[in-house]
This record gives sequence, structure tokens and C-alpha cells, in this order.
Amino acid sequence: MISLVYRHNRVIRLTHWVNALALLILFMSGLQIFNAYPHLHWGHKAEPEEAFFSIYATNEDGIIRGYTEFYGWRAETTGFLGVQNTEMGPFPRAFPSWLTIPGYFWLAGGRRWHFFFAWVFVLNGLLYLFYNFANGHLQKFLLTPRDVPKIFPMVLYYLRLRREPPQGGEYNPLQKTAYTGALFLLTPLIILSGLAMSPQMNVAFNWLPAVFGGRQSARSFHFFFTFLFALFTFGHVFMVAMTGFLNNMRSIVTGWYAEKAEPLAVAEAEPAAARTEPTPDAQESRGVKLDSVNKKESPENEEK
Amino acid sequence: MKKNNPGIPRRKVLLAGLHGAGLFFLSGCESIFNRLHQNGKFLSVLESVEGPNRFLLRLLTRRNKLAQEFSEKDISRYFKPNGNPPPLTTEYIIDAMSGWPFWRIEVSGLVKKPAQFSLEDLKSMPARTQITRHDCVEGWSAIGKWKGVPLKAISERVQPDPAARYVVFYCMDTDQERNHYYESIDLYDALHPQTILAYEMNDRPLPIEHGAPLRLRVETQLGYKMAKYIRSIDFVATVKEIGLGKGGYWEDRGYEWYAGI
Repeated sequence: MISLVYRHNRVIRLTHWVNALALLILFMSGLQIFNAYPHLHWGHKAEPEEAFFSIYATNEDGIIRGYTEFYGWRAETTGFLGVQNTEMGPFPRAFPSWLTIPGYFWLAGGRRWHFFFAWVFVLNGLLYLFYNFANGHLQKFLLTPRDVPKIFPMVLYYLRLRREPPQGGEYNPLQKTAYTGALFLLTPLIILSGLAMSPQMNVAFNWLPAVFGGRQSARSFHFFFTFLFALFTFGHVFMVAMTGFLNNMRSIVTGWYAEKAEPLAVAEAEPAAARTEPTPDAQESRGVKLDSVNKKESPENEEK
Repeated sequence: MKKNNPGIPRRKVLLAGLHGAGLFFLSGCESIFNRLHQNGKFLSVLESVEGPNRFLLRLLTRRNKLAQEFSEKDISRYFKPNGNPPPLTTEYIIDAMSGWPFWRIEVSGLVKKPAQFSLEDLKSMPARTQITRHDCVEGWSAIGKWKGVPLKAISERVQPDPAARYVVFYCMDTDQERNHYYESIDLYDALHPQTILAYEMNDRPLPIEHGAPLRLRVETQLGYKMAKYIRSIDFVATVKEIGLGKGGYWEDRGYEWYAGI
């Protein structure tokens, strides 16, 4: 009954894990850089009283408290944001040391990591993009105008308000939205908003900080895009966990995926990457599986 | 959704496990990253992108292209004076109070005609005024109006040798351990039209906290490159013999020499 299919080839597995590492390091070193000035502004400049987001510490009669403020709405975040509880007592620090690289306050170090892994992220991403484009896999998860009307029915299906998924191909409309959005919208935006903070870029292309509304706006957007990436990663890992965690992990580490899985796994599983060496067995069993699913759940949407 | 699903307990356990593994993973990462950061060889790998970054960013920049300039209404109400406290020696205070009659800037090194300039000498030279954005490495920006002598004019006056590649700025301010601030830029940035030796800020004499009597403006780079309280300028072939050899006070402490990013 159980048959293994070769789902993710070497290039996909390598770029996936390099990307995961690069995103983790960019996230943590980025928070280190943010800690040097834990306030966000809109516009070109940073007038202190005009920050719309701040993480800070106060000292009230010897009691040190951490606060996070967003448009005048303030929450005490002692122990996590603003003040970290250390072995030597409370310590003022925007993001805690365990979320930053290095794990102590060192802006120069954070910048070194950030700018190195920015290159890793970009070059690895280009490799992934061109590889998937060349072998035709990219086109399978690219959101097309035809998919747009299917997005809402897919949401309903996930919310168990609809019985059949509106699935047409290997990827469902929500997967396509998430992958296309992350790859073709969020990635260019986070790169451009990062570059918009560079003084030399400001010389080369005066319009670059301006399109974000100024350098401080670009910095704020860069910060928010980071958390959209984190949200995407969380959703991705959540889906991996919900659809057979060990099997999914095996396929992204070794390439091999066991086809004997719950129907849920077929509908929600991680995208099958280009199968460059499909065994006749695996091919057959997958074909059978997909057929039965289509027949049972969405006969009108057979894969062409 | 939660109530009738038999899969939830298993999922809950799995999620709790993932959460725990995540925290364990992060704290493990912290010590790995810290150890890697303290490894000189690893650090030099991280630092290796500085050269390509400089090369590529300049490749994208048209020759003598100007940094964005702003209008009077954009000028910051508050401009943070970062860095060391002013060099409040008796000589400095007396000179500052009497309009800098004693201060001279010495320009020498690999030049054909070493020269000294008083503040009056500099003010009598053709000046450039610009309203530009100052970007601190910490992340904030402030907009100010600066007036001063283009460094290019000084360079034409002293005529550097072909061997001169960098311009070093020695400053009067020190840190708590009495290390003097210094900075260096290469000729690409030194000869940029917006690179000026500023003696006026927002239409007034350069305030003490912003580096009186003379500070550098390099609009292609971050704030820490813009030396304040300048006392002398040297044209040199290499910066390796100065300070700790990295080309500047902050560079000696781990920051990039090329701060155009």
C-alpha cells in the first residue's frame, strides 16, 4: 500500500533549507539592528515625538518596566519587549537577546550578518526562481486571474463551510496565493525597502526611498514585511505539521514522500516539486490516488 | 471547529511540541550564533561582502549624481548630535567663544602643496549649500541645511599625488579612553560634489554639538563617516597604519569602512 514517490529533487531541497536558514538569520540580525533605534516613523526623517511605534523602558522609582507603544496605544511588555529579565536583573532591551544575532547588543555585528545573508537570500532565491521557471514547475503554482474566483470557495472549504475544494491543479488557489504573494510581491518589496535605506542607493536612485514615502517609511515597511514573512513561514510550517509532519519532513530532507496518506494530505500537502526521476510504481500509485480523490470530491475539476 | 474534531488532541500535542522545539531551537541558535560571531575566520567571511557591496552600489550610481536634496520646510526640528561629547578643552572653549581666531586646519600628506586654512580662509572660498538627509547607522534620519567648502576645491588647492587614495580626517573629540575620533573616505567620495567641509548648519555657525568649527558631510554614506571637530586632513595611500588599521574610529570597532549601505 505504501509507496514512496520522489517529490523534491536536490536543487529544491537545497534552496529550501538555505532559504530557511537565511530567513532565520535575516530575521534575528534584523531585530538586532532594530534594537539600535527601536522606533518607527513615516516619512523621510525621524522627529522623536512623531514615532508611531516604539519599544522602550521606563524607570519608575527604581522599577524598570518595558512598554510597547503603537499610535498611542500602550501595553506593558516587561520580560519580552523593552525589558528583558536576565540573571543580573531586568535589562532594557527592545527585542530580547534570544531573538537577536548576536545575542547581545552589537549593532555592527548584526549588520555584518544581515548584509551577508541578504546576499545568500537573494542569490539562493534567484537560483530557485530560474530553476523552477526552466523546468516548468513555477507555472504550476503561479496565481493566474482564473484562480482568483476560486480563492474564496477554498477559504470556505478550509473553514468546513463547503464540502468540495475548488481545486484545479496540483496546487489549490490558496496555496497559489500564498506562494505567488511571497515570491513575487513580498520578496521584491522587502529587498527594495531594504535597499531604500542605503545612502548610496539614495544617490543612485533618488526615487527609491521616495516610492516608500521616504527613508523612514521604507524602514517601517521593511520591519512590517519581516513579520509578513514570519506569518507566511508560520502558516507554511503549520500546514506541514497538519498534513503528516514526519512524512513531509522526510520528503524535504531526503526527497522521498510516502503516498499512503490521509486524503487531507493530498489536498493540503506541500507542493510536489519536479519529479525528475519518477519510478513507474510511484507514478502509477500517485495517478490512482489523484483519480480517486478527484472522483470523490471534485469530479468537475479534473486535472487536464 | 474545535469541538467535534477527534484529531485535535494529537494536533495540540504536536503543536505544543513544535512550540517547545522552537524555543529550544532558538536558544540553541543564540549560543551557536554567538560562538560563530566570536570566531575571527567566520567574521571575516561575513565581512567579505563589504567590497562587492561598495563596487555594485557605485556601479549603479551615475558619476557625480547627487543625493536627494530637500526644501527648507523639510528641515528637522530636532537633529540628534550623536557621538563623543565636544572636546571641551580650555583652548577649544576660548577659541569657540572668540569666533575661532586660532583654529587652523592643516591639509598635508601625499600632496604637492600642503596648506593651512583658517575658518576665514575657508569662508572666502566658493561655498556649496545643500539640504540633505543624514542617515545614522542606528536607523534614524534627520534633515539639515549645510554650507561649506567642497572637499574637491581643497583637493585642487593642495594637489594630491597620484599615489594618494584616501583622505583621512583627524578630529579633536575623544572617547572616554581618550582615543581620538578619526575617519577616512576614498577619492570617489572625497571628490563627490556634495562632499563638503561644513561650517554652517541651518543658516547658523556650526553648533558645538554638531562639530564646530568644521565637520565633514559625505552624503553618499552613513553619519559615522562624517567626522566632526576636524583638526587636520591627510591624503594617504593606505589607512592600515592609522589607529587600529581599519580606516576609522568605528571601523576599528567592527563597523564597515564602506558605509554607503
